[in-house]
Amino acid sequence: MPSFRVHVIIENKPGISDPEGETILRDLVLKKSHDSVSKIRSAKMLKFEIKASDNRTAEKKVLKLCNDLRIYNPLVSQVTLETFAL
Amino acid sequence: MSLLVQEKEFLQKKIGRKANPTELQIVAAQWSEHCSYKSSKMHLKMLPKQGKKVISEKGLDSGVLDVGDGYVVTVHIESHNHPSAVDPYGGAATGVGGIIRDILSAGTRPIAILDSLRFGNISKDPYAKWLFKNAVRGIADYGNCLGIPTIGGEVEFDNCYKKYALVDVAAIGFGKKNRLIKNNAANGDLVVLIGGLTGRDGIGGSQFASDILQEENRSAVQIPDPFIEKLIIEAILEARNQNCIKAMKDLGGGGLACAISETADTLSVGIQVDVNKIHKREDGLSPAELMTSESQERMLIITDKKKITKLKKICKKFGVPCSVIGHVKKDKMIQVRDNKNKIALLPANVVANAPLLDRHASIPKYLKKIQKEPKIKSPQNLTKILLRMLSNPNLASKTWVYSQYDHEVGIRTVVKPGHDAAVLRLDNKKFLALKIDGNPKHCYVDPKQGAIGCFEEACRNVVCTGATPIGMIDHLQFGNPEDPEIFWTFKKSLEGISDYAKHLKIPCVGGKVSFYNETDNGPIKPTPIIGVLGLIDHAPLVSQKIMKNDLLLIVGQTKNELGGSEYYEYIHGVVGGTCPSVDFIASKLNMKSVLTCIKRGLVNASHDCSNGGLAVAVSELCIKNKIGCSVLIDKIPCKSLALDRILFSESHSRYLLVVTKKNLNTVCNLLSKNNVQFGVIGTFNGSDITFRKKAKIIVNLSVDKGRKNWLRSLEALVSNG
Repeated sequence: MPSFRVHVIIENKPGISDPEGETILRDLVLKKSHDSVSKIRSAKMLKFEIKASDNRTAEKKVLKLCNDLRIYNPLVSQVTLETFAL
Repeated sequence: MSLLVQEKEFLQKKIGRKANPTELQIVAAQWSEHCSYKSSKMHLKMLPKQGKKVISEKGLDSGVLDVGDGYVVTVHIESHNHPSAVDPYGGAATGVGGIIRDILSAGTRPIAILDSLRFGNISKDPYAKWLFKNAVRGIADYGNCLGIPTIGGEVEFDNCYKKYALVDVAAIGFGKKNRLIKNNAANGDLVVLIGGLTGRDGIGGSQFASDILQEENRSAVQIPDPFIEKLIIEAILEARNQNCIKAMKDLGGGGLACAISETADTLSVGIQVDVNKIHKREDGLSPAELMTSESQERMLIITDKKKITKLKKICKKFGVPCSVIGHVKKDKMIQVRDNKNKIALLPANVVANAPLLDRHASIPKYLKKIQKEPKIKSPQNLTKILLRMLSNPNLASKTWVYSQYDHEVGIRTVVKPGHDAAVLRLDNKKFLALKIDGNPKHCYVDPKQGAIGCFEEACRNVVCTGATPIGMIDHLQFGNPEDPEIFWTFKKSLEGISDYAKHLKIPCVGGKVSFYNETDNGPIKPTPIIGVLGLIDHAPLVSQKIMKNDLLLIVGQTKNELGGSEYYEYIHGVVGGTCPSVDFIASKLNMKSVLTCIKRGLVNASHDCSNGGLAVAVSELCIKNKIGCSVLIDKIPCKSLALDRILFSESHSRYLLVVTKKNLNTVCNLLSKNNVQFGVIGTFNGSDITFRKKAKIIVNLSVDKGRKNWLRSLEALVSNG
């Protein structure tokens, strides 16, 4: 069975504040006058390596696992998945 | 929006016109149960609020007690139940943040946090485990980042909190009396918003907390940022020292709408704000959203025009965003503008004072059934039962929890978590003892006696450190108050608390009411939480290591009161029976006598006898001191009772005292002279906990075995999955 790498990116939902991103923007980036930057959002990424029949199945399996094990809180955070064949 | 039809009509009558949509949202935020106490306010009056040490001044968000030598202690309690049930980490953390700002807004430095946590059955329910782990982590992360010690609290698990969480946080502040914020304002003073950026988070949070939790409205999530909170604390304290603050209010439930209307009403002034001046996280927020956003870590300050430059400089130094958003007027109106457009104009006293409700109360039907004494067969092997009791997550050691908290930062903590009450060193060479207690199991069986019991237990815990109770705080948590049966339990609990407070002359210096605590299985059990503060003039009783041949005394009578006990519920799975009740006269007498013994230095260690009963309390002493104890049941003051009942009854007003042979006679004489019921029940020796009836051994448990169960069971439950 082929292997895939699935990146799970967990970040706070839009509209929910993100103190880490805001602090980096306000206290670092803007202080050094990089005025062109308007927004920074922090996120956490988990990299799964998984055996699956295809790309979509790999992604589905990982998402189910993240939901079942409450790896993120779906009420606070959103996840985006990126899948690569290995 | 949760304004009722009659509330809308009331508003229209008061202001003489229909309110516009923004005004309605502002009023809805302020008139929510959470902010207005509309169901409870008329009953809360029964609590005694005056006392020799109480300082009450207008506009203070926390209780203030004079501890002498020009110093004051401030205290407050709040819950963050709804947010924690949705997002335990963020909800619990922002709960700590909110209470800290209440302490700060009196002009005192927060010096300690206590938390009281309740969840569903963690032995069986993985969701309860998830809530528990993350709420503890939230409190730990937030408190530890701020450098404020979390010095005590309690944790309890009960099926009634299925998929829900009760997160109560109390905080203590300390400061100079002459630095307290006086809260006044004059025409032309400036209104300043300090702290975090205002965003869309937590909009409608207070209304959300005033409704029953439903899947679809789980949107009010608040994200904690302890670092900005720390900067706010330092900036505000410096601004206080430089006299830049005339009045101050924390932004909590209901956001700016609440803070402005309450401040204007309390100070009898008008406040005009321009939403355009608020520092925001994102664009596109409507004026109503800006007014009711519950973004965390924000404070409202009223300052003199002459001081604004200084205030801005202080904020800049600490990197805390600050904007002048409006000014004080004479007209007693709240005016909201968006640049030049008038958006809302309402009388402050109308917004700040919701029409109160006189809710119906009727005795719950379940009570009659539940108060009947259940038939329970005494188990043969009581050693086995004791061992099981020690592994009960409600009774087992909470080291796993408090080891995550920094409880020593600030170097004030003299008696640390894991004892009856925590003790803090104050700057005037006195000591402050603190404890919060709740007991929903007792309160479910008897709301009034249960509530008195929580109060007495907190007093006992404080007394065990040698402190005299000087004040109390209460947090009353119940289900939906629109249900007359639930409202009855609220009223009865309140009655109990106020009777006991009056009898012992302990003033209520602060509190909170939280309704609508409902789960998928129905309302939670009545859960009043009582916090007691005690003052020690000289030295606290720091328990000394128990030595061979030291003697064990019990003060107080053991009665046939096992309703709502851990023994009935955990071992037999029975809910009901006669709940322990407090005999006010014995309670006061025992308390006074124990305090005298401690103050005279006659006691080496003391322990309160409560949840789990005598057998568990004795085991805890043995386990902590790694020494055995042989107890003679015949010496325990009680009317003829079955052995299991003597061991596990949770009767109140009982204390365990450890004394040396040398002091025994003096202690016995003192107690006899005071007509206190007591017994010299055991001797510490060897490595086994034994209970005998005459020559017959009833319980024989090795301290080592008990210790393993008591110490590890909670951690084992949490770490397995």
